[in-house]
Amino acid sequence: MNWLGWLHDFLADPAHRSGPDSIVHRLLEHLAFSAEALGLSALVALPLGLLIGYSGRGLFLVTAVAGVARALPTLGLVTLAVLLAGVGDTAVLLPLTALAAPPMLVAAAEGVRGTDPDVRDAARGIGLTHPQTLLRVCVPAAAPTLLAGVRTASVQVIATATVAAYVGLGGLGRYVIDGLATRNYPTTVGGALLVVLLAVGVQLLFALLIRLAAPPGARSSPRTRARRTGGPSEDPATVPASPPALVKEVP
Amino acid sequence: MIRFEGAAKRHPDGTVAVRGLDLEVPAGRTTVLVGPSGCGKTTILRMVNRMVEPTAGRVLLDGTDVAALPAAGLRRGIGYVIQQAGLFPHRRVIDNVATVPRLLGWDRRRARARAAELLELVGLPPETARRYPAQLSGGQQQRVGVARALAADPPVLLMDEPFSAVDPLVRAGLQEELLRLQGELGKTVLFVTHDIEEAVRLGDRVVVLREHGEIAQLADPHTLLTAPADAGVAAFLGRDRGLRGLGLRPADSVPLTGLDPAPTPDLDLGRRIPYGGWELALDPSGRPEHWTRGAERHPVPVFVPSRDSLRAALDAALLAPSGHAVAVDAEGRAVGTASRAAVVEALAAANGTGTGAPTPEQVPHAGR
Repeated sequence: MNWLGWLHDFLADPAHRSGPDSIVHRLLEHLAFSAEALGLSALVALPLGLLIGYSGRGLFLVTAVAGVARALPTLGLVTLAVLLAGVGDTAVLLPLTALAAPPMLVAAAEGVRGTDPDVRDAARGIGLTHPQTLLRVCVPAAAPTLLAGVRTASVQVIATATVAAYVGLGGLGRYVIDGLATRNYPTTVGGALLVVLLAVGVQLLFALLIRLAAPPGARSSPRTRARRTGGPSEDPATVPASPPALVKEVP
Repeated sequence: MIRFEGAAKRHPDGTVAVRGLDLEVPAGRTTVLVGPSGCGKTTILRMVNRMVEPTAGRVLLDGTDVAALPAAGLRRGIGYVIQQAGLFPHRRVIDNVATVPRLLGWDRRRARARAAELLELVGLPPETARRYPAQLSGGQQQRVGVARALAADPPVLLMDEPFSAVDPLVRAGLQEELLRLQGELGKTVLFVTHDIEEAVRLGDRVVVLREHGEIAQLADPHTLLTAPADAGVAAFLGRDRGLRGLGLRPADSVPLTGLDPAPTPDLDLGRRIPYGGWELALDPSGRPEHWTRGAERHPVPVFVPSRDSLRAALDAALLAPSGHAVAVDAEGRAVGTASRAAVVEALAAANGTGTGAPTPEQVPHAGR
């Protein structure tokens, strides 16, 4: 039997149409759980990252956290949490939250740090307070970077939540793990495909959001703009049209 | 009025940016700080709005030590323009300009109305309002920067090399615009530049600085150019002081060619006077409207012989597509024209021996 046949069997199974093991239910479970982990993580990582990026203090912390996070074995962390806290959703929520934090922390810090220093200087110089400068100038300027961080975190959490079915979590991972356990390959394949589709869908959603977050005209890189600034005037409004008043009366 | 009393800035690593400055910046006039890079001029400027806190001495604004005022509130009452404009990239031009009025608690409608007024004041077309900064040219961004600084009508304007990043032709336009604005508004302007020509052109008073913010000379432009305080200042002014001095010599030595035929003020329609390929269009009252050639139309650079400088006449001749500067009377009516050659001849005469007199080929943007 080929995998298309397996997929057909998976979708045709009445248990996957309605009830607690239905695709819709599992999908919502998966989304709710991932969103919860992401939300908790964002609540801690984003403000911390913004402050670190704005103040420039504690950047070493961000680098360290990012490095450690890359080396963390996902499954190991989930298993460890269950061993320590016992089987249950809360026990799995913690490692997922911990996994989502580093990409968001790094993105928030780097995004704010990357704000054009002239723009920050001007913001302060015309009378914005520090919180106003951060929230009204740096955060909007950092929005694309920030969203990219949230996207990375989301995809990571969605993927890891699948593996977490191994320790009893619901969601789409149930199909994969249970299918494997009972040698029910149609279920495994169907579950895997759904997870992939979900991850790709989330990626696309963020790609769209990031596009929307970039201000119009900013798609030309700063370098192109600098060249335009130095080039000859293409702007009739800046060519002197009024009578030259080039000299001042000397008192 | 701004007064520096022994204002000094020493960095934590011990290097001295400004050793101790005593300076009065009179109200309603333009004071230009000029000097080589690293002379502390930007630090001095930034002491006024507390972007830099002096480590000794103090800065008084209308008699009040700025250190005693809350920084954000102080800054909202002082216009601030920097080299790269520093516009907020995610906000439309109109909202960039409306920033300070909004901070001061104006409602959105009033702030935007004020911003629209300012865009007009700095010579930007109304459709610019809805654009984003990245969609504008460098010169336009600087105009928006100036509009933003003026939005809350602050009595004091700090300008830190605002025109250094734009090309020379646009810069000349912006400088002119600033002179016009300053003529209308009479702000207390403190302007920083490393370009002595810009300093002489814009300043009522020019402060030439050397290292550590020490004043080498404080004078009006004429005195500065004609009587540099010492060899250092003279060297900074440069060898082509003759050309810069043009800004201070009257343009009435330029020989004018009469308009042909002689103006007839009672004509209803304007007139067109041919100048080799180009035509000078005059309106019914005899004021120049534009240079035309086929469908092409260009503004007419003009000068007033009795009032303007040789420099203005030279600029007008160089900027005119036809190569002819149009002389106008105080009412703006054309009274004659001067070719580039005629202006250059007048320059040579004014410079005595004629050495250093520029020919159009030596001047950037000499055009056709």
